[in-house]
Amino acid sequence: MRERFADALRSQVVGPFLIMLAVATAMALSTDRFLLSQNLKNVGLQVAIVAIVAIGATIVILTAQIDLSSGSLVALTSVLLADIVKNAGLSVPLAALLMILMGAGLGLVNGFFSSYGRIPSFIFTLGTLAIFRGLAFQQTGGTPIFSVSPQLDPIFYGELGGLPLPFVYVVVLYALAWAFLIYTPRGRQIYAVGGNESAARLSGINVNRVRTEAFVIAGALSAVGGILLTARLDSGSPNYGQGLELMAIASAVIGGASLFGGQGNIFATLFGAFTIVIVQNGLNLHAVPSAWQNITLGAIIAVAVGVDMWRGEFARLLVRLWRRGRAAQDEARPTTSTSAEEHVQSRP
Amino acid sequence: MATYRPFWELRSVVKTFPGVRALDGVSLALRIGEIHALLGENGSGKSTLAKVLSGVHQPDAGEVFQRGELVVLRDPHDAQTRGVATFHQEFSLVPELSVAENIYLGRLPQRRGVVDWSAARRGSVEALARLNVKIDPDRKVASLSVAEQQFVEIAKAISRDMMLLILDEPTAALGPAESERLHGVTRVLAQQGTAILYISHRLDEVFAVADVVTVLKDGKLVGTNARRETSVREAVRMMIGSDLEEHFDRRENARERPRLEVRDVRTENRVNGVSFAVAEGEVLGFGGIAGAGRTEIARALFGLDRITEGDVLVDGRRVELRSPGDAIEAGIALMPENRKADGLFFNFEGPANITIAGLGAIQIGPFLSLTRERRRARKLMQELRIDRRAEDRSVRFLSGGNQQKVMLARWLFARTRVLILDEPTQGIDVSAKQEVYRVINELTADGIAVVLISSDFPELLAISDRVAVVRSGCIIHFAEYGELSEHELVELAAGGGANEVAA
Repeated sequence: MRERFADALRSQVVGPFLIMLAVATAMALSTDRFLLSQNLKNVGLQVAIVAIVAIGATIVILTAQIDLSSGSLVALTSVLLADIVKNAGLSVPLAALLMILMGAGLGLVNGFFSSYGRIPSFIFTLGTLAIFRGLAFQQTGGTPIFSVSPQLDPIFYGELGGLPLPFVYVVVLYALAWAFLIYTPRGRQIYAVGGNESAARLSGINVNRVRTEAFVIAGALSAVGGILLTARLDSGSPNYGQGLELMAIASAVIGGASLFGGQGNIFATLFGAFTIVIVQNGLNLHAVPSAWQNITLGAIIAVAVGVDMWRGEFARLLVRLWRRGRAAQDEARPTTSTSAEEHVQSRP
Repeated sequence: MATYRPFWELRSVVKTFPGVRALDGVSLALRIGEIHALLGENGSGKSTLAKVLSGVHQPDAGEVFQRGELVVLRDPHDAQTRGVATFHQEFSLVPELSVAENIYLGRLPQRRGVVDWSAARRGSVEALARLNVKIDPDRKVASLSVAEQQFVEIAKAISRDMMLLILDEPTAALGPAESERLHGVTRVLAQQGTAILYISHRLDEVFAVADVVTVLKDGKLVGTNARRETSVREAVRMMIGSDLEEHFDRRENARERPRLEVRDVRTENRVNGVSFAVAEGEVLGFGGIAGAGRTEIARALFGLDRITEGDVLVDGRRVELRSPGDAIEAGIALMPENRKADGLFFNFEGPANITIAGLGAIQIGPFLSLTRERRRARKLMQELRIDRRAEDRSVRFLSGGNQQKVMLARWLFARTRVLILDEPTQGIDVSAKQEVYRVINELTADGIAVVLISSDFPELLAISDRVAVVRSGCIIHFAEYGELSEHELVELAAGGGANEVAA
């Protein structure tokens, strides 16, 4: 049993892990600075925020929805946290807790309208993407808040037993997400809803509720991302988290999550996040202008999504080419079996 | 009236699908001015034949002639340009557009590059006038009644100078008065020079409207007769045939105590006051034609359609059914007709498919025990003889029969007390059917009450301890096992000769 489970895990995680390794190797070979410990630490810190937001993105994608508002929610959290700590004098733990609740609440708004309200989540969260960012600007009048609080560092940025705290949060949150998705009924229902909505409903699952909860989780995790970012930079700014939603979604998709829902592995998402951040870091080290960095990131996302969408066609194309090759080889013997092709066609 | 040269003709048409010979050498001649009815049970090849004529399917062998000239219909567009119009049960209208826009969808008349609205309106009014109906061409289709929409649909077809009209179960969604009106229109169109192929389950209708009746069975032509030379009784005999009976192993497991009681239940979706009871271990079969309301009764009992009036009791206790979750909690389960779209999770392997509706049984505290899940699912899979490969492969790769047994296993696992099976043997082969019957026997041996919906009447009569005949959302007749012949069931369900039997 345990072996079998390890097998299943490996099969879904191995690909994304190898991609990450390949990208890292390419970076290490092309510049000496990649493997410097300071750089690796930077990579790790950058990954932390992307990776945590990507947990939420993965869970939402598993239910066959999408959350585009997470980057803006990170900015809103950052600004509000800085404001209530620095200007209203709230203690950091209390303020952080409030932010997580706010994130969950705004996630509830996203989830409620895109499930019970039947507004496609792609459109609704595109709306909240603009709204949350707008609220963040409104809060500060557009200016960042610097030197928020010395209290932030020991809770959200310092070290615990030699490990940077953001790493610790990543490890803990990924372990929790994994346990939630694999070992709880709700986690199973999330996969079920994404796999076949109608069957899920006919199995007694409250589909709208499951979807709404996925958005609530995503909102709370975006808030955590916002808190960590604020602590790392000791400032709150409405400009933080631009494009973070795309990086989070790309992490999930590079990790093999299907945008059709029902398929994805949380650890594979973590490797996806590493892949994205390593690419970005490598481009920085090679002094690639930021415009080209954006273009590259966009292209990676487009390709990753394309691979997800065209998986079936790719497989079919390969089978066809393979059969054509065989037919050319032995023209005398006609191929009688079509089962190989049918087998592949029925895959997603 | 009818000219005797065939207008459209099929000669020895063969069409096979994987595992099924849907049409096996069928020849048919359609004449201008003639209403030609096509009868047959589900799966007899009626729809396949219609689809050959409308260019959806290409025959594997045989020829299609138009006015004695060999034609090849490569796709539906080909057929349309040759004047074939098909009228389905599902509407192809766009509800948000006006009547005229729908009639001229994709080919609005133009003058100097702009849409000539007055021509479109005039054309629409003319087309509708040919049907003897008046509908304002500017009204939105969404605001029309179902019957009016149907007329718009036909007007759309005839405005294309259609010469062959295929009507596939056109009255499934219509009441008696509207059906009568539709038949009037059909006759008018025939008189105006159209050939009509009329496909229906309803014998009474067919005999009211058709000039010629053709019966198909298992993809073969049984016979073509002028209506005047045949009878409902004769047609039924031809539809059923005299093939050897399939083997049904039916066990008597019914006990005394009622498991499910339904009292005068009504919904807004075609259930008009239905009362019945099913005992522990009993199989109650629902017989009826498509659209009679059998699936709708199942939907109500499973919390999918709101019950507006009446009570449902499980083991003597009244239950509220507001959602499938409520129903499952009450012990009622539904195995939907379309197992691929509504039943199976292709992203899961066998065990997860089996446990999804009863995750509580594999929980330890708040967590799922995957070990327990695997063990219990494996046991069920062995009992139901489900392909062992399902243990660690997606259920996508299983045969239809095995997929169906996975669905049965799901409800056994969820400790269902009342199981509604909607067409459980549709699209699976004979040996897999035997397996499903065997599992049904096991379910009833466990005391589960089974409601069986099946359009395969021989099967329904052979497995059910009792049969309820459903028509227009009501149960019009109950019969004990052995009381009803297939012949009588077909007549009752279709509404032909109901009075003699139901009295």
